[in-house]
Amino acid sequence: MDGKELNAAIRRCLAQLTTYSDELGDLDQALGDGDLGITVSLGTAAADEALLALPDSSTPREVVLACAKAFANANPSTMAALVAGALLAGSRVLGESPTVAPEQVGRFAMVAAESISQRGKSQVGDKTILDAMFPAAEALLETHPRERAFDAAIEAAEHGVMTSKELQSRRGRASWLQERSIGLQDPGATGYLRFLQSWKATNRTAGVVQKAEVSE
Amino acid sequence: MKKIINEPAAFVDEFVEGILLAHPDLLKTPGDDLRVMVRADAPVAGKVGIVTGGGSGHLPLFKGYVGHGLLDGVAIGNVFSSPSSSQVLEATKAVDGSAGVLYLYGNYGGDVFNFDLATDMAELEGIKTRTVLGRDDVASQPKERAADRRGVAGIMFAFKAAGAAAERGDSLDQVAAVAEDIIDHTATMGVGLRPTILPTTGKPSFDLSEDEMEVGIGIHGEPGFHRGELETADNIAKTLTDRLVADLSLTSGGRVAVLVNGMGATPLEELYVLFRRVHQALTEKGITVEKNYVGEYATSLEMAGASISLLALNDDRLALLNAPAQSPFFKEG
Repeated sequence: MDGKELNAAIRRCLAQLTTYSDELGDLDQALGDGDLGITVSLGTAAADEALLALPDSSTPREVVLACAKAFANANPSTMAALVAGALLAGSRVLGESPTVAPEQVGRFAMVAAESISQRGKSQVGDKTILDAMFPAAEALLETHPRERAFDAAIEAAEHGVMTSKELQSRRGRASWLQERSIGLQDPGATGYLRFLQSWKATNRTAGVVQKAEVSE
Repeated sequence: MKKIINEPAAFVDEFVEGILLAHPDLLKTPGDDLRVMVRADAPVAGKVGIVTGGGSGHLPLFKGYVGHGLLDGVAIGNVFSSPSSSQVLEATKAVDGSAGVLYLYGNYGGDVFNFDLATDMAELEGIKTRTVLGRDDVASQPKERAADRRGVAGIMFAFKAAGAAAERGDSLDQVAAVAEDIIDHTATMGVGLRPTILPTTGKPSFDLSEDEMEVGIGIHGEPGFHRGELETADNIAKTLTDRLVADLSLTSGGRVAVLVNGMGATPLEELYVLFRRVHQALTEKGITVEKNYVGEYATSLEMAGASISLLALNDDRLALLNAPAQSPFFKEG
């Protein structure tokens, strides 16, 4: 997959992802400050615009960096900055290569998760986006045959979202709710799952493993 | 709570507006957000930019050190809370003169989080950043965990020296090295007598009875290591000085800069009573006071109390402190 194909694939995915904005905003209303819906809708729109403006000759890394910058600038939320930082970290995996190699996908996802973990001083079990990101990245890296990896990642993310539902939030505004956060579904982790599902729905017709790329 | 304020929620924006109206020749807001303030001449082409930031309620800390020979910009949080990463980014973009930007601020979780996020976003904008944290509060962690200490009044030395280094044309790495060097040789300890009342909640920042003092208090009223009967100025000065001298391993023949800082509600007279004894105590140990600052450099609204900072001096550090500088709140030379 070269930069031009990746560009088109991300735009197809974002068009689907943005339909989940209301759902994510409602989840965030219960657990956070309610701005995740706006973050996703503004962020996806800005990323789409930035991707359309890129030349066809852009490398995959340039495509990802354009998304990161657009996402960060679209709205001043912490989540947007964390996602931009994750994409920036992940983009280093891609180097200056003109194409994305299938084996880079899992590493990209893992590096992105590690970036958010480091920046946000959070781990799996803190009831954050990481509860979906780390299991999905591990599934991408460890599933054989590789053709099954993407579906395994979705299952792992889904499982992470469900498991963390019963946990108490320890990070961000949600932590102020303390035990009242138990039983509520984490909006960030759900957003990541919806991203993977959107990617599958719009880009996985031929069963080829494509690049999973982090976005809320 | 007795304060001269309007709407508590408008407090920060309104005092920032006041500062901007009072000093339009020195300071400006680069965009629409009053929570970002930069030097009037920003960006200075070819010069390393220095951005700081943190919670409000500490004037002159943070905002007061934006000026010539000092810092280039500041991101302004609510009272005692961190600015946002996008405010840090906006300050970064406004001061970038193509030589990179140093983030120099106090070691507090929220500030670290938001500044770190800003480093990523700055990189996406093609701006190189470095980060140096103020961590001079010796009461907050023991020496072996010095990297985890909080940043308090002593960061002023780093602002002054790094600002002078940037102004003379040092590179980003050199300016960062100057800031690190100063912070490594700075130690601060405070004593609190009366809490501040937070304008938004009307609640005191800590509880302390009328006859007590808290030694090692933080700049937001964080608990210290000793709470006890209020002692005399001489005893307080001696206790703090001894702790700082030990922390910096200062010995006879050493040279220092001294900062006696008021927390907001302590009169200047009391600060000079403290300085008198600090100076004596240092002289008794054979340590020379080559530079001193007595006044309000890092406050906590109307908290009563003071902090003492020592910076171990050499010729380079002293020259950087003595270089000319000017902001609405700070002047040298």
